[in-house]
Amino acid sequence: MSLRRSSAILRHEMRVMFTDPSTAIFVIIMPLLMVALMKQLFANTLAQEGLTGTNGSEFAVPGMAVSFAAFSVGYAGFSFFRDHGWGTWDRLRASPATSVDLIVGKVLPTVAVTVVQLGVLFALGGPLFGLTITGSVVGLVLLIVVLALALSAFGMLVTALARTMNQLNAIGSVGGMAMAMMGGSFVPVSAMPGWAQTLAPALPTYWAMRGFRTLILENGTVADVLVPVLMLVGFGALFTAVAAARFRFEDTKVYWG
Amino acid sequence: MDVPAVPAHSEAVLHVSGLRKSYGGLEALRGVDLDVGAGEVVALLGPNGAGKTTLISIVCGLRRADAGTVEVDGLDALARTAQVRGRIGLAAQDTGVYPVVSVRHNLTLFGQLAGLERRALRTRIEEVAQALDITDLLDRLAGSLSGGQKRRVHTAIALLHRPRLLLLDEATTGADVETRARILDLVRRTAAEGSAVLYSTHYLAEVESLGSRVVILDRGRVIADGDARELVAAHAVPVVELSFAGDVPPALWDGRIGEDGRRIRIPTRDPAATLAELLPQIAGQQLTSVEILHPSLEAVYLALTGRRYDEADSEPTRENVSGVAAT
Repeated sequence: MSLRRSSAILRHEMRVMFTDPSTAIFVIIMPLLMVALMKQLFANTLAQEGLTGTNGSEFAVPGMAVSFAAFSVGYAGFSFFRDHGWGTWDRLRASPATSVDLIVGKVLPTVAVTVVQLGVLFALGGPLFGLTITGSVVGLVLLIVVLALALSAFGMLVTALARTMNQLNAIGSVGGMAMAMMGGSFVPVSAMPGWAQTLAPALPTYWAMRGFRTLILENGTVADVLVPVLMLVGFGALFTAVAAARFRFEDTKVYWG
Repeated sequence: MDVPAVPAHSEAVLHVSGLRKSYGGLEALRGVDLDVGAGEVVALLGPNGAGKTTLISIVCGLRRADAGTVEVDGLDALARTAQVRGRIGLAAQDTGVYPVVSVRHNLTLFGQLAGLERRALRTRIEEVAQALDITDLLDRLAGSLSGGQKRRVHTAIALLHRPRLLLLDEATTGADVETRARILDLVRRTAAEGSAVLYSTHYLAEVESLGSRVVILDRGRVIADGDARELVAAHAVPVVELSFAGDVPPALWDGRIGEDGRRIRIPTRDPAATLAELLPQIAGQQLTSVEILHPSLEAVYLALTGRRYDEADSEPTRENVSGVAAT
């Protein structure tokens, strides 16, 4: 891997991304709106769990943050399909950039956007919705970063499996949303049916929600979120390994159609 | 069919030997041998489906070969692809530029990937832009350019790092006259600076105007390899073509080639003498035109394959049908 080449691709991807920032803005504004709409509902849910003194943002902010981050997993693959559509994919492959340079350069911007997306939501959660994070801020940052990495790795896996942009959109958005819901970011796991509660730990979103809950509601330290962090790292490694095994650089991907 | 022998180039930048590639049961390349020397332009000529793009894709590492060897500057291009890519400049058949960023940014990105340092890259962008007359376009969005302008930017990207081997695949397809002239001029200049150039095209006239060595690829095989003029001299003779208002006089047939009842083509080494011999025989006939068709690569292709070049497009391969470019 060449740091120079992957950073050249990374800078280029960021530049391309910000020629149309609407998507990045959308995935930040929408969850804020959702939190505003659903905060009271979650306040009732938390009260039923016996958690008094909460206003609902303790669940709504991380829940919507995780949901929209998961919903955006397809963005990690978008730049690959877009390059096929623009005829630049073969051009990149014919350059001295290696496969690793290409993946690092293309996926890290998505990781960065997800980190910013999650970070902004948690940062605005206090002033806008009265969210108080009693636990470790370092733990929160750590959890945000590993969640962004795990979801981007899942995005790469979807990219490896999808042949068309439509498939990427379908698997990425529907699959991402399902992963968020089943992981307990829309409804607390305790309120889900028994079979869903059994399934939930098999999803990265479950571990992210568990970690955020520990930090927000249980005064958690870095050590307290170590298990969720490690689980997310494991998911990221697993998704990356499967994506690497399935990704064929010479495959033709169909941008539209 | 025997391929006319060409002396091996003293310094082959590209050396291809026994290259084979199949897509399913369809053989795109059937044992291709090819050398391109430093400072040499080789026009890779062949109809659609002949295997030109497959050959170029394998040389630059975009596709894998089934068998054979490819060396670039003495390096095994099939095994050391990353190392070899730095020595190759590719302008693929389909234009590939990022439409949402400027031309300069497009050039900068690929220059950086090719390893050019900041100052050298800035200078080189100006040089290449000047050569292709895109200096005024550098700060425009690539997506706002015309097809011909995009084609020039696409070609410029391939030249930034002064590649040892320049691969141009159908570089002038869809290009306007000025773009075509610029690209052909650049091909000559790039070779003059010492690069090896493999220029794939299906335009006969382009190859003739380049006046370079020609490798004719047909159905995955090299059927001719040599200097364009020598190939023409070896395989084709001038043709006298006579067209009549009515049927060709029976006296003229005498086993000669007629395209239809009103036109006759007479291959001859000496068109003037042939005409002098024929004119008395056609006195009184309504002759509508007399043309001397000079020998061309088209005639070479006809002589070697028995098919006219413009009718020679290969059957669509399975890959073509499924939407994957594989010519």
